[in-house]
Amino acid sequence: MLFFQSLISGILTGGIYALAAMGMSLVFGVMNISNFAHGDLMMLGMYMAYYLFTLLNIDPFLSLVLIMPAAFVFGYAIEKTMINRVIGHPSENQILLTVGLGLIMGNTALLAFTSDPKILTTSYSSSSFNLPGDISVSIPMLLSFLVTCLLTAVLYLFLSTTRTGMALRATSQNREAAQLMGIDVSRMSAIAFGIGTLLAASAGALIAQTYYIDPFAGHTFLLKSFTICVLGGLGSVIGAGVGGIVIGVVEAMSAAYLSSEWKDVVVFVLFLAILLLRPRGLFGRKGEQ
Amino acid sequence: MTKQWTGIATFAALAASVPFFLGDNPYIADILITMLMMAALASAWNIVGGYAGQFSFGHAAYFGAGAYTTSILLTASSIALPLCIGAGILAASLIALLTGAIVFRLRGHYFALASIAVAEIVRLTAHNLEITGGAQGLLITDITFGNLDLNSKEPFYFAMLFLLVTTLAISLLVRHSRAGYFLLAIREDQDAAASLGINLYLWKNMALVISAALASVAGSIYAVYIRFIDTSAVLSLRLSIEIILTTIIGGVGTLWGPVLGAALLVSLAEALRSNLAGELLVNSGIITEASPIESFLKNNLAHAHVLVYGIITVLCILNLPKGILGLFRRKQRT
Amino acid sequence: MKHLFLALTAALTIFTTLPAQGAAPVKIGFINSITGKEAQIGENLTNGATMAIDDLKARNIDVEMIREDDGGDPKNALAAYEKLVTRDRVIGVVGPYTSACANVVASRADQYQVPLLVPAAAKEEITMKGYRNVFRLNAPADVYSNVLLKSIAPFRPGTIAYIYAANDFGVSTVKTAQVNASTMGLKEVANEKYQQGQPDYRATLAKVKAAQPDLVFLVSYDADAILLMRQAKEIGLTPKAFLGAGAGYTTAQFAQLQDISSMVISATQWTDDVNWPGAADFGVRYRARFGKDPSYHAACAYEAVRIMALSALKARDSKVLRSALTAGSWNGIMGPVRFASYGGYTNQNNHPMLVQQLQAGRYETVYPAQFSKKKLIYPYRR
Repeated sequence: MLFFQSLISGILTGGIYALAAMGMSLVFGVMNISNFAHGDLMMLGMYMAYYLFTLLNIDPFLSLVLIMPAAFVFGYAIEKTMINRVIGHPSENQILLTVGLGLIMGNTALLAFTSDPKILTTSYSSSSFNLPGDISVSIPMLLSFLVTCLLTAVLYLFLSTTRTGMALRATSQNREAAQLMGIDVSRMSAIAFGIGTLLAASAGALIAQTYYIDPFAGHTFLLKSFTICVLGGLGSVIGAGVGGIVIGVVEAMSAAYLSSEWKDVVVFVLFLAILLLRPRGLFGRKGEQ
Repeated sequence: MTKQWTGIATFAALAASVPFFLGDNPYIADILITMLMMAALASAWNIVGGYAGQFSFGHAAYFGAGAYTTSILLTASSIALPLCIGAGILAASLIALLTGAIVFRLRGHYFALASIAVAEIVRLTAHNLEITGGAQGLLITDITFGNLDLNSKEPFYFAMLFLLVTTLAISLLVRHSRAGYFLLAIREDQDAAASLGINLYLWKNMALVISAALASVAGSIYAVYIRFIDTSAVLSLRLSIEIILTTIIGGVGTLWGPVLGAALLVSLAEALRSNLAGELLVNSGIITEASPIESFLKNNLAHAHVLVYGIITVLCILNLPKGILGLFRRKQRT
Repeated sequence: MKHLFLALTAALTIFTTLPAQGAAPVKIGFINSITGKEAQIGENLTNGATMAIDDLKARNIDVEMIREDDGGDPKNALAAYEKLVTRDRVIGVVGPYTSACANVVASRADQYQVPLLVPAAAKEEITMKGYRNVFRLNAPADVYSNVLLKSIAPFRPGTIAYIYAANDFGVSTVKTAQVNASTMGLKEVANEKYQQGQPDYRATLAKVKAAQPDLVFLVSYDADAILLMRQAKEIGLTPKAFLGAGAGYTTAQFAQLQDISSMVISATQWTDDVNWPGAADFGVRYRARFGKDPSYHAACAYEAVRIMALSALKARDSKVLRSALTAGSWNGIMGPVRFASYGGYTNQNNHPMLVQQLQAGRYETVYPAQFSKKKLIYPYRR
């Protein structure tokens, strides 16, 4: 029972991790930037979902329809005004720029919303059903997982069938070659960052229903997302999806059979092991870059 | 090069005379000690990050290794302080070698992320073990060293200054030795360096171990100075990032950049934290005590100081990618 | 080089050329975690301290309080204390909030001879080192588990499981709880320390459920408490009682979520339904002003600042202030306060902690009997 309970919880939690990590991986692939503000972008999604629900009474799942375009525009604008100025700069400058942006977002939220944690409570927040064998499945987690699957499928179709999607993938594979082929790589970067922000904010909005919201609530997911991206192969969107679920299950199993306090160590050791044994990750194409 | 040795000597002499002008002013002495510490840490980071171009995002691990080793030995035994610091160097070097074995196979973003992962493992381990005091941290009381007054600021000021000057001297030696040219070659193009027969692995590890050893001494002095450590104070990712930020804002790969960065960032952080910035505006007559700006600053600057810090970080990275020294020197990376 | 020295000089001048303003009203300092990871609780302390100063102003008592942020970092707390003491010349300091910061500042208080009144930090050792200038208002960590287990002892539970945050407070509290539990003859069947901020605790909770404990002893901060209890309900973890130590189980937000919080028993330093003078009124005014319920931290900070301000006003000098704090006694929203030496403590207020239970969505004080109107309900049923 403990095994299956941990497995189910791990998969459902992993779905959220996956959604957060996919945005990061896309940004990494197209722009070659490690985005340390990703957790703060998730936080923005959490607050949007919270205020749309409490002020306008819009169900968090429905509010995604409003959050996604807003987040896209926000990400696009950040890229156009700031991030694009450090593309091609040393990676530590890029990292510090995103760290700085994260500090600005988190502390602005602190001034605007105070540090009091907010809890988004819908009528079904604490509802669950039991599978045979007394295994409990949280309904909001399951719904979030299904939405994640849907978003992943849409993203996959977008990347593989539309012109913009293919241009994004081309830029991701080889920026210079893509430029020579007439692709507007600077626009692709902005679109990638917009989509990355959209996915981060969606992940935030989804997790807000079973988590809590405070100005730094996204930070929990930052290092996890990096781990997942590396596990799946930096730049691989599908890899991030699978990686998220793997990490979710590993965490749950470590908590169940090892100890709750050591589960993060297990994740980081796994992360290093992958870097050493298979640096391009499960689905990566480039090796060390 | 002679000019730079003169520079270090002048700096050491001037800085050593500061306490005599300062008199009894523990608050300013505290800020200066923090500046010297951050300058030493940033200079130490600069050896591996600036000269060899390996951007370690996990330097807190070495700082913390020194702080924890010294604290544990001091509380659990009667080992003399210098030996404790020596043990800290050893511990940090071991962690550095272990880290090097893992992360130096990787490059770019992978290297940065792996160095974070190693540092996080060190942090979580210290957080979960008993010997490190775990989440409760370690309080050190009743330490003596010779007949130094460890309640006063001077011993720590001079210890940090000595460490900084040593770090600067080592930086200069490394920079102008054969090893230094190898490191620069590695920074500019690893593959080209390897094809010239430079042993990448050996030289990168050497730079990291030197850097880690120096950082650990800073950690040891910090632990004896503050007399309390826990994982969030000495092993956090925030500290690692502050060290890099200090170097970058001053000027990465330069001798004096880290020192300049530390002087600016530490004073800025303190001025914002304590609202001296607001007081300065009042005292200089720009705004009055009763003005709404001052009352806003008084009530909110404490809330907003990390925000201001973030804004300055972003402005610096966007407008001064080579640091402040980059403004003055065209050819800073020679 | 030249630029470097210019910059250094410029940096130095900021700190040296700003003499503190001349001798106006009596000055006290207040060090708190306004930013950083403890900012959530820090805000309650800030609110309490602000109300204390404003209440005094309303009575025409003018005491200047200089606020300092330590960001939860002991190094900053030390800098703040040294600034307050040597630059601003305050004669007494209230704070810091976190145990780590309070520990560091406390170890320096005797050196500067400026009294420090710790309002809410829980680590025992802060007042166990014999410092003459360190005073503490709140009850230390061991009292949390002590009152909780005492309140439940008459019902003779047999087994206990611990689930607690891997932070200073969590670890300290559970350590003393284990000692208290073993003297009560309780058998420990699970011990789960968790890293804060995880989205999913179901695996941990399922493990605890399998051990079938009578009591589940939890230590968590704000949001973790809600997550844990919500997931405990889903998993079907139903012990005879949930005992909550720590701020997470004493918030208004937690009380509102009746389906998960009802019947939870928690320890607190303060409630607004005890008969301490002004407690109820403080609750009403706090709600009106800040739009939320006061936490015990707010009450602790309010009373600490009030005691410090009133004593400082009379003393006008650090040494006199120290004697005034050592000798004085007060009776306000935290009940009778006196800084005494007992059981290894020095200048520690032997504050009676309260045990409360959520009954019908309200925190009802259920222990000790002299402060309570309602009875503890055990075993737990929903």
